[in-house]
Amino acid sequence: MKGVHSVRVIMLFFFVLGMPTAWCESQKPTIIQAVGIENEYADVIAQIGGQYVNVTAIITDPNTDPHMFELSPKIAAQIAAADLVIENGLGYDGWADKMLSVAPKVDRKVINVQRLLGLNDSTPNPHLWYDPKTMPAVVALLTDDLIALQPDHAAYFRANQAKFEASLTPWLAALAALKKDFPGSPVAVTEPVGDYMLDAAGLNIATPYSLELAIMNGTDPAPQDVTFENKLFSAHKVKALIYNQQVTDPLTEAFLNAAKKNHIAVVGVYETMPVPGYNYQSWMLAETNALRDAISENLSTQSLARGVH
Amino acid sequence: MLSLYASSILAASFWTDDAVHTALIVSTGAALVCGIVGVFTIIRGQSFAGHALADMSSAGGAGSFLAGINPLFGFLAIALLSAVTMELADLRQARERDLAAGIILGAGLGVTALLLYFDVTTKSTTGAAVSIMFGSMFEIPASIIPFLLGIGVLALSLLAIFHRPLYFCSVNSELAATQGIPVRRVGFIFLVILSLSVTLSAMAIGAILSTALLIAPAAAAMRLTKRLWFALGLSAFIGISASWAGIWLAYSSYDWTRGHVWPVSFFIVTILFIIYLASGLPQLIAKLHFGTDRYKTTQSFGGS
Repeated sequence: MKGVHSVRVIMLFFFVLGMPTAWCESQKPTIIQAVGIENEYADVIAQIGGQYVNVTAIITDPNTDPHMFELSPKIAAQIAAADLVIENGLGYDGWADKMLSVAPKVDRKVINVQRLLGLNDSTPNPHLWYDPKTMPAVVALLTDDLIALQPDHAAYFRANQAKFEASLTPWLAALAALKKDFPGSPVAVTEPVGDYMLDAAGLNIATPYSLELAIMNGTDPAPQDVTFENKLFSAHKVKALIYNQQVTDPLTEAFLNAAKKNHIAVVGVYETMPVPGYNYQSWMLAETNALRDAISENLSTQSLARGVH
Repeated sequence: MLSLYASSILAASFWTDDAVHTALIVSTGAALVCGIVGVFTIIRGQSFAGHALADMSSAGGAGSFLAGINPLFGFLAIALLSAVTMELADLRQARERDLAAGIILGAGLGVTALLLYFDVTTKSTTGAAVSIMFGSMFEIPASIIPFLLGIGVLALSLLAIFHRPLYFCSVNSELAATQGIPVRRVGFIFLVILSLSVTLSAMAIGAILSTALLIAPAAAAMRLTKRLWFALGLSAFIGISASWAGIWLAYSSYDWTRGHVWPVSFFIVTILFIIYLASGLPQLIAKLHFGTDRYKTTQSFGGS
């Protein structure tokens, strides 16, 4: 009897001892489990969080249409376990919100980029990461959230934030130079993917917006718009065609061929960060340099895959 | 830039637009063939078989997207394959025939669902489902026109060659059999003709809607005349008119929907529906005036 009793006491002791320890651990995990729904956001989390985060990207394949993404139970589990999530919003990843609400977690930090930028739901173009104002705002909130999760490493996160902001400078400079050297150059597009970047570079998007939306949403474009777009190429009204590599159909291929036939430079853009070989900053810089090559020297850069031009 | 844009939306642009040209040619071919074949389809009581063939052909359309070829070839291959399957099922009674068609139809659409899933998850084609099911008339490449017209000519040639035995078998198959006509072979030839027709119609207004172009013009025409040759001409005329009007309305919708174009198939099918309702008016008026069914055209047409 006596032996059994002492075992109970010891068990109780460990139980009482263990409770607050387990509780503390859930409050301050040593490694933050983070999810960037799109891989460009995951990349930025990794850059700021460094060794203290374990990041998972959900949308990573630059060869399929992210608007058509399908969920799997594995992804649901990854999102459910996350301490920190960055989602784009604007219906681009609306399923992520649902996943988060069915698997609540205490102290989970969720950054919704649409809400962060104060955009209302009717904003038609969801490709927010092409806007040079977006990532600095995301990173500012991300750093605050990381510090809230791990206050001990505040200095580390702040240093990474500063490093990130400094590394954006070449891209911002390239955009400013493009705006200064070739103001209002007319360009054609297939989809609104790169539109925020084109606006920031001061270029003039000649494609009817209704055509961009029709191609993005997979509805049939108006023949009037198609004729208009074709005339942009045949009449040499544009300096370049900005072509979404990830969403192609016979129509966008016809535009691609029309541009080539009329010797108009083609710039391939992506919705999802092309990996390996790029981080967010170098990806954006590569797109902007390709744009400049097209406008200044009529050079095409169809693919950003390393070594293929 | 703005003047170029303005000139492209002027009314005259309808007749100079390449996409409109292609749409008009494709829909005229499809409506002509379907209008004529549709009359025979109704006489033979095979409207549902036509619908089933069209639905099953959608699997071919979805497969074509996956293979990166024009949906026409997929539609055609699967429609013909389905015709052979229905023939092999060898069902004489109409009730069994409908059952078999319904079950094969379900299997076909199931395959379509799988292929469309592969389309959107492995290829970057966003609009495949809508385009296959409901058509994308303004997106048909001009290069496909010769194939479409070839299919149309083949369908009408087969019909021209076999129209006598076909009509005979349709009106009275027992009598036809006693006269030494191979009723079953004639039935199979008609299934082939039907496959060719729904392929054309599927290209024009989509696989799911393609029976509308096959049945509605013929049904309306047969309410208005009892004579076979008149019915054939009127049916083709109704189909072509509805198609042209639908294309024009869809093209014009650009101006009143702020740069959107409503689906052509919506307009065509709606116009066909209205024409079908209107075709019942002479009958209705006669009934109200004379209190009798003097114009029981549909029932008396060709017997059955």
